[in-house]
Amino acid sequence: MARVRMTGNALTTAAVVLAVAAAGAAAWGGVSWYDAAQDESAAYAQSRDEALAAGEQAVQNMNTLDHRKLAKGLDSWEDSTTGELHRQLVDGRSAFAKQIQQAKTVSTAQILSGAVTELDDRAGQAGVMVALRVTVTAPKGKPAVKESRMLGKLTRTSEGWKLSALGQAPVGNTAG
Amino acid sequence: MSTTRHLVNRQRRLATVAAERATVPVRRPATPDTSADETARSRDAKDTTTDDEGTDDAGSIGGQEKTAPDGERPSRLRVRLPAVLCALTVLLGTFAAWAFTSAGSLRDDPTRQNTALTDIARTSEVKGQISDAVGAVFSYNYAAPGNSEEAARTHLVGKAVQQHKDMLAQVRAQGQKQKLVLTTTVTDSGVELLDGDRARLLIFADQSNTRTGKSDETTYAAAMFAVDAVRRDDTWRIAAIDTFTR
Repeated sequence: MARVRMTGNALTTAAVVLAVAAAGAAAWGGVSWYDAAQDESAAYAQSRDEALAAGEQAVQNMNTLDHRKLAKGLDSWEDSTTGELHRQLVDGRSAFAKQIQQAKTVSTAQILSGAVTELDDRAGQAGVMVALRVTVTAPKGKPAVKESRMLGKLTRTSEGWKLSALGQAPVGNTAG
Repeated sequence: MSTTRHLVNRQRRLATVAAERATVPVRRPATPDTSADETARSRDAKDTTTDDEGTDDAGSIGGQEKTAPDGERPSRLRVRLPAVLCALTVLLGTFAAWAFTSAGSLRDDPTRQNTALTDIARTSEVKGQISDAVGAVFSYNYAAPGNSEEAARTHLVGKAVQQHKDMLAQVRAQGQKQKLVLTTTVTDSGVELLDGDRARLLIFADQSNTRTGKSDETTYAAAMFAVDAVRRDDTWRIAAIDTFTR
């Protein structure tokens, strides 16, 4: 009987030790997981990557236009933008469409690289810089390939990040 | 072993008592036939009980039958406690394993690994140092050609050393003769990736190229390229230059 009881106690002790160790591991793991899940910079990093993806896509859209699918192309321009830039595009749409129909050009763009330069997650404002290669094909002559340095401002809308400003990076006024 | 048998016996005993109780009120009003049947059945149940108890007694160590009712509770506890603790250990262990795996996969997420902009100090550090480095290594003055070589030694490392040599080969060859002054200024820079001591930046730069001779002539050029940077001894150096050539 005594031997049995001792074995029982030893078993209980071992089980208690193991359970305590497991509880410790669980607590540590829980804290580690909570820290990782609640990491504020992770949410910020998420916004940064979303802004970059949206910005690159929008810049690509804005540099892509096929005169044979003009309506679709210009719709995609309008979908990619918001604010003042969007208003300008809507206002100038018919005049621009006429221009492209006459020129009969097809533009395609390839994103080479892009980076977020600034991000205000709370205000929903971001700045992006995008390096891209644009190929413009006219009815006659060889396709023209040019590299383009774009700077854009993004604003967060209910449908995600959209371009509120877009322009070429200026040349020649800072060097020398 | 004996504990289980005790348990079984006890249950049987209780069952018999219950059966007898059930038969008692039936006995009087019922017909002799059924009552006899019931008694027979209850007797049968009794018989098996005694039989079982007999074998149990024979199999177990003497005196255990007596201690059984008192000993039952602690012995059950003894068995139950480790079992509960084992279950607890398994549950907690499973949770711990899940938590660590989950935390690990969250931290390994490429979005989090990239601390561009999230690490403000590092981001501005790498932007500042690499912008200065680009300006220094892509500038040339015929009056002091050694400066650009010195800058290359300071700011370049690895693959970038040869890339830079190839890019500036023409300038160096004609520099003295044409009295060239090449100045590169970074106008925009953005950190694409920042992961510890590695980074990738997108650079927009202006280049002015002046020939000072009989007639001064300055041309401006726009440049865009990406650089891979590495941090060594608290200093960021350019490790590779990507000019996006096809």
